[in-house]
Amino acid sequence: MTQPARHAAMLSISNSGPNTMAGEKQQSTQHMHTQSQPSQGLRVPSNRKTIYDRHLNRSRSAELSRASFAFLFAEMVTYAQRRVTGIQDLERRLNEQGYPLGLRLLDLLYYRTMSSSTSSSLSSSSTSASPPNRPLRILPLLHLIHGPLWRLLFNRPADALEHSVSPETPNEYMITDNDPLVNTYISVPKEMSMLNCAAFVAGIIEGVCDGCGFEAKVTAHNQPTEMWPGRTIFLLRFGESVMEREKVLERAGVK
Amino acid sequence: MAVFSLIIINKAGGLVYQREFQPGLRKLSTNDYLVLAGTFHGVHAITRSITPKLPLAAIPNPPITPTTATTPSPNIASPSSTSTPTPSSSSASAGGYTYPNPGVPATGLESLETDKFRLTCFQTLTGTKFLLFTEPTMANIDVVMKKIYELYADFVMKNPFYQLEMPVRCEAFDRNLQGWLRGRA
Amino acid sequence: MVVYSFYIFDRHAECIYKRRWLPRPVSTVGSKSSRPTSEASAPGLPATLGQSARTTDDDAKLIFGTVFSLRNMARKLGGEDDNFVTYRTSQYKLHYYETPTNIKFVMLTDLKSPSMRVALQQIYINLYVEYVVKNPLSPVEHPGGIGVNNELFEESLEQFVTRVLS
Repeated sequence: MTQPARHAAMLSISNSGPNTMAGEKQQSTQHMHTQSQPSQGLRVPSNRKTIYDRHLNRSRSAELSRASFAFLFAEMVTYAQRRVTGIQDLERRLNEQGYPLGLRLLDLLYYRTMSSSTSSSLSSSSTSASPPNRPLRILPLLHLIHGPLWRLLFNRPADALEHSVSPETPNEYMITDNDPLVNTYISVPKEMSMLNCAAFVAGIIEGVCDGCGFEAKVTAHNQPTEMWPGRTIFLLRFGESVMEREKVLERAGVK
Repeated sequence: MAVFSLIIINKAGGLVYQREFQPGLRKLSTNDYLVLAGTFHGVHAITRSITPKLPLAAIPNPPITPTTATTPSPNIASPSSTSTPTPSSSSASAGGYTYPNPGVPATGLESLETDKFRLTCFQTLTGTKFLLFTEPTMANIDVVMKKIYELYADFVMKNPFYQLEMPVRCEAFDRNLQGWLRGRA
Repeated sequence: MVVYSFYIFDRHAECIYKRRWLPRPVSTVGSKSSRPTSEASAPGLPATLGQSARTTDDDAKLIFGTVFSLRNMARKLGGEDDNFVTYRTSQYKLHYYETPTNIKFVMLTDLKSPSMRVALQQIYINLYVEYVVKNPLSPVEHPGGIGVNNELFEESLEQFVTRVLS
């Protein structure tokens, strides 16, 4: 799949349905439409303050009902299931639902990590440096996903971050979530045991990677253990161009 | 304190879930369980319909003067019953009867006891029935029942792969139910 | 504690005796108002109080069907030696006792009543055996309630329910 096509598709989606994702992830798309939206078509409260007038950090510590998210996500899976040819197709659709979300979420993530790093001066640096600039190398990007992105989405960091041990696949990285929020209430039927609905989250990660300029394919895989029956591995495969750039940057000493 | 097994019956009387937790009851074939669910569904409806009806006026009142016909009705109570029955809207038109426990809607069978086990039936407002088989001496069954309903609402109703009214095959429901019951025992 | 009704079913699944106790409104009875009064009991006779004859007849059939199904269910799950004892709804309790000769005694009471298993057994041993089985004028089978609806049995049942149970 080529990158430009994907962006184009995403833009068309965002134009046709600007509000579809808005409620789910803390109104992440607000700023995209601030200038283009006159009062018509948008419900304006009596005090003339729309959600676009609110401060972006307002919903920073806000919480969403887990039940309503569970029902919404269940409907999203049901929707994606229509007319699919197989499990791969279904996972691809879920991935595509998450992709634009990741792309848009990135701006909010930058905005918030920057404002927090300036105000609280890197107090929460459990996952190494939370970068004030956009990540240029792979490792800072992975830390951004593992820490701040996961905290923004799920209110906790991911459980593990690994690099592929195989010499043939140096471009593969793995992020582990022991109990993905999206899969909490989902039991996948036996005949679809390969399916992991966290493909949606994989799509978000892919969107974040793409938005940072790291072309990548992200997939979700089941890896249950006795303790964690829902353990999921997100496999990030970076593209050739990314790996080449990585080598150049390494020689140049860019961190 | 043993919970023997759980059965869930959908609103049409079909068996959608059956699981054994502890041995104690005889094992039935799948077909027998299906029959049992259907039978119980019918019996449950009948037990509601044979609720004793207490007449509001023992002699069907021919048109007498309205004062004698209307005034006594609030005083009617079964001899040892402490609450005063309030004539329901339906009973007034049907010539006057009240249920023994006015104010509480008449339900079907809620609990059944035998020498070996106790069956507790909880019917949700949507018509699904949960049948819990426990030891006859077990206390606080309603707590167990409430938790089961909660787990059902979570892991069955929120599962995108569950089709309504169809057999429940949700591994997460099984796992959480089993885990919770084991934690209690 | 209030007893609403009492039924006996023979081994042919026929209702051979039924009796209902209906609390009377204060206004119509006067002096006897505090005690439940019983209704005419012979099957087939139209009931005079409250319900029509059709519904009391049907009730007996429905009750038999219910206890028969539940008894079978109890045996299927609990084993052949298990006995269905009682069930409860939000409105009433049904008590069940079955003799070794397959005669079934059923009693409907209010929710406050304790287990009536012993009471039903007493009715069987002290009243049914004494006044129906041992009665030389009573036939072996009781189609339509013949032989059960004798004065001694009915009187003593009335006494048992009103004096002993309430």
